Amino acid sequence: MGMDLGRFIKSPDFEIRITTYRDIFQVEALEHDRFGEEYKKLSAAITMSKSDLGKMGLKSGDRVRLTSNSGSVVVEVKESKRDEPGGIAFMVNSPWSNAIISGETGGKGIPEFKNIAAKISLAKEEITPLEKLVPGMQA
Amino acid sequence: MVTCTGCALLCDDIEIVVENGRIKEIRNACRRGTSRMKGCVNRLIPSIYQKPSDIDSAIRKAAEILKSAKSPMLFGFSNSTCEAQVRGIGLARKLNAMIDDTSSFCQGMLIEKVLQKKFRTCSLEDARNRADVLIYWGSDAQDSQPRHLSRFSYFPRGESRQRGYEEDRIAIAIDVRESNTAKICKGHFYRIPLKGDREFILALIDALSGKVPSYDTKKILELAGILKKAEFGMVFAGIGLTYSIKEDTGVLLTLGDLLPNFHIMPMVGHYNMRGFNESLFRETGFVNRVKFNGNVIHEDKYSILEILKEKRTDALLVIGADPLLSLPGTVVKHLSAIPVICIDPCTTLTSKIAAVTIPCAVSGVESDGTAVRMDGEVIKLSKVVENNYASDEIILNRLMEAV
Ligand code: SF4
Repeated sequence: MGMDLGRFIKSPDFEIRITTYRDIFQVEALEHDRFGEEYKKLSAAITMSKSDLGKMGLKSGDRVRLTSNSGSVVVEVKESKRDEPGGIAFMVNSPWSNAIISGETGGKGIPEFKNIAAKISLAKEEITPLEKLVPGMQA
Repeated sequence: MVTCTGCALLCDDIEIVVENGRIKEIRNACRRGTSRMKGCVNRLIPSIYQKPSDIDSAIRKAAEILKSAKSPMLFGFSNSTCEAQVRGIGLARKLNAMIDDTSSFCQGMLIEKVLQKKFRTCSLEDARNRADVLIYWGSDAQDSQPRHLSRFSYFPRGESRQRGYEEDRIAIAIDVRESNTAKICKGHFYRIPLKGDREFILALIDALSGKVPSYDTKKILELAGILKKAEFGMVFAGIGLTYSIKEDTGVLLTLGDLLPNFHIMPMVGHYNMRGFNESLFRETGFVNRVKFNGNVIHEDKYSILEILKEKRTDALLVIGADPLLSLPGTVVKHLSAIPVICIDPCTTLTSKIAAVTIPCAVSGVESDGTAVRMDGEVIKLSKVVENNYASDEIILNRLMEAV
């Protein structure tokens, strides 16, 4: 417990780059129930290389806060099962990644879904619920 | 055999067993398609201002909202049949409305080039029968169009490719992420940095023109060697490539010129996005982002993104799309300030804030029609389950009569 508290007190911010992708299991969950737990579990997550996690003092299963100029969201961090060179973190397209994607398009109608600059830090809060991400939506 | 509407591959070899008006079993479809055809757990019900209503009242209310709006917009359509899309375009014309679809922030740019015949392209059957070099560029087909490699590209036997992947075909992945597709392209995965596609293309252009590429010289020369030897090459251009190069499609055209044996195919996700692009292109000369005002105006400012950001619509009809789920949070704020009309088989994030909701049939399961596969082939959809849900085409017809 004491050690855990220590992690939060220090919990520094790190700058990261995030890119989004699509995942068949998450799409399957979306078609079935976009308000369900499975969709949330597969969406509200960020995947990073082992070495990046190590550098930031994070471990798989930690909750992290991601903050960009456009918004902030709490998701679970996961270690990539692939041999990643590091430097980029990955999120599937979902309301959780959309919460931190800029609406800036240079007037061209396409947001930067694939290149998000954000800060990451260990979080105590629960994973941001869907209702909080969607303006005007009731549970 | 029925057609799956899980993605723009529109697999037409699906077997469905229906019992007591319900799907009991689905054969041959992938995970994504099975989930789509089985349908969602929460069907949409008709409602007005979030209170349950009946279809007739909901359609009347929707018509009233659209008629009284100064600047109405219609959006979605990538999950609608061609027939419904044509009605939607007609409705936009009648209302002097703006109309856009999901291709506007997806593959619209590349599909436009295909329809303008700026790229050399071919059918998926041509790819299956003849292709020997397959490049998945910024495309994770394994997750987005899961049967692409098994039905049309790497794995199948083809007329001039009897030995498929074992000897006759090379699959290459160019991506920032080692996707599930990249894993299959063993030994031919080229990892690029974020937004590195343009630089990669330029280096490849150098290598193909006999210059020494400045970037990753050894690997680029090796790749250029493979491409030059191709008898029938394919570039399956994914959303990763499109987002990265954006409107700079000129570099892709130049690359295409240097590879006369290659064909470019935009990888489409939603089952009938290309259908919408083709219908609108036929009627207006543009694939998306159109405003009707007696004439046709096409500008970037009529894209759904710009319209919502600049708060330039006062009533939005959304059909077969969920902008609250798929667009950046800062952009969709405006949706809670205007009346939204939502037509969909399922409850969506957007339907939860809509002024009017109108449930429709799941196309390809509960209603029939046609759709356009990612390569432009028109595919028939069938109705396999009988129930009372009206097709989106019927709903749009009724709206058209009521406005
Ligand atoms: S690949 Fe696409 S069309 Fe084919 S079964 Fe899967 S989801 Fe359906």
